[in-house]
Amino acid sequence: MNGEIAHNGDRIRISGRFSVKDLEDVTTSLEGNSARHLVLDFSNCQSIDGCIAVRIWSIAEAKNAKGASLEFRGMNPDIEAIFNTFKAIDDRPALPVQKHTLLYNFEDIGDKVLATWDTVYGLAIFTAKAFKALFSGKVRGSITAYYMEQSGVMAIPIVITLNWLMGVVLGYQAGYQMSQFGGELFMPALLAYSICWEIGPMMTAVLVAGRSGSAFAAEIGTMKVRQEVDALEVMGFNLYGYIVTPKMIALFVVMPLLITAANFAGMAGGLAAGGIFLKMPAVVYIAEVRKALIPFDLYWGVVKGFFYSTIISVTGSYMGMRVRGGPAAVGRATTSAVVVSIFLVILVDALLSLLFIHIRPGLLL
Amino acid sequence: MKEKIIQVESLTGGYDGSIVLKNVTLDVYKGEVLVIVGKSGCGKSTIMRYFLGLQKPYSGRVLFDGTDIWSCPAALNESRKRWGVLFQSGALLGNYTVIENVMLPLKEFTSLTMAEMMDVALSKLEVVGLEHAAFENPLEISGGMQKRAGLARAMVLDPEVLFFDEPSAGLDPVTSAELDNSILSVNRSLGTTLIIVTHELASIFAISDRVVMLDPEEHGIIASGTARDLADSSEDPRVRAFFGRKIGE
Repeated sequence: MNGEIAHNGDRIRISGRFSVKDLEDVTTSLEGNSARHLVLDFSNCQSIDGCIAVRIWSIAEAKNAKGASLEFRGMNPDIEAIFNTFKAIDDRPALPVQKHTLLYNFEDIGDKVLATWDTVYGLAIFTAKAFKALFSGKVRGSITAYYMEQSGVMAIPIVITLNWLMGVVLGYQAGYQMSQFGGELFMPALLAYSICWEIGPMMTAVLVAGRSGSAFAAEIGTMKVRQEVDALEVMGFNLYGYIVTPKMIALFVVMPLLITAANFAGMAGGLAAGGIFLKMPAVVYIAEVRKALIPFDLYWGVVKGFFYSTIISVTGSYMGMRVRGGPAAVGRATTSAVVVSIFLVILVDALLSLLFIHIRPGLLL
Repeated sequence: MKEKIIQVESLTGGYDGSIVLKNVTLDVYKGEVLVIVGKSGCGKSTIMRYFLGLQKPYSGRVLFDGTDIWSCPAALNESRKRWGVLFQSGALLGNYTVIENVMLPLKEFTSLTMAEMMDVALSKLEVVGLEHAAFENPLEISGGMQKRAGLARAMVLDPEVLFFDEPSAGLDPVTSAELDNSILSVNRSLGTTLIIVTHELASIFAISDRVVMLDPEEHGIIASGTARDLADSSEDPRVRAFFGRKIGE
């Protein structure tokens, strides 16, 4: 039998069993009765649950505050016991207030600066230890091959497709602008140069950071949560050698190859754009590219690849190793790994470009 | 006559086509404490997944209060509001404090005010002896406390049925006994039906009204009765081996 509520002037009789699904009915009945002294008769009530009890108790307190009253009659011991638990809670603690105000963002600046410094310092120390392990430990062939497959082979389709599309878009945009003053013949040189120096390496790095950097952080973070890292440590493993260096070596190998593939895919995209939009014959496009590029332009991507692979593998691993707590911390580590990796890739790219832009003219002579 | 709350009818199921449970039929009665036991791999957790509607059987039905939980999505959702579950790890959300975890079902399924929700949550935490840890992070309290907080969350809506997956796993005997007492008090005071999967002999004898034993070779139930009857008078060697083990054997 479910709960039933019967009104009789200033008396409300509740019968049967009341559970949370009767909450609205109970509330409406009690609040709708404006009697100064209301009697709630539980004589035929077998049970009520905690939600019903707390609502009745709240309404009774509200009526008391207004000078009215709610009297309970006929409660069985079980129902009385439930009400007694709420009577006992006279000093209700407040929930901690979470700060989400605009001002809080400014109050937090000092903490953020210190946290950023911690990250930079920790990452630097972690990188040094990873390189030390790289040069002093053994190479774990099968694990490294696994990461080469995951980060390299499986990334080939997306890297080539995306860079080819970038080549098409840039080729069309550059060709269209240059054709305004009859300079479309310079498009292949501009495109090949931009692809090899910036677009190819950068797009590849962003993709690898998104695919592999995040995967490294999530994998190591989960290992931390499941105490697998602790287990390796107490078994005497060198954590850097076992967890980090296979990822570094894998990216050292696959990143330059991916960048080289990305460069050729981008230039192929330019070739397609030239042929479709500018009616430029393929032989002309290829001849212009060969005139514009020197071998160093292609090697340059490989050089950048070593820097980027260090950044992505070390940052992903570092963020994973910093995980403390539960699954939510793994999610935060993954996000941090991608954001910090891409930031560092762009920063290092800018520094390298500024440095090496002065070397290239010498190589042309 | 005792009223049935859950009926499992000729249930066959498993994972990825493999059979774990075959043609299992089982009734659970209102207000009883049913303990499911058996060797590893016998399907204890699997049958729990079928009770909870986490998995659809290959064939057969699971009825909650007379309604097939797979008859329509609404049936499953309605059933889920009437039961609570304590998972092996406690399964508390690490982003929330203990009391916020306990308040989660109240926020989702009731129109209580924040103050009312806190009162209900505190009363449940008091039942499990955790009111002092209400504002702790669940990841920073002990395993036993996590389980008791999980129990408070499971019973915050005063469900008709409570499911427990290995409640004593990883707990010391004293904490385990405390948890058993908390579980029993829920059954005794509110008449809640309890379905418990456990290996702990001490818990089985302390809290069960009825024990059902599953076997991996039979893919189903090989014994059913009170713990004392199964331990003392079963002639099945698998049942005797389970209940007859002593320390050092």
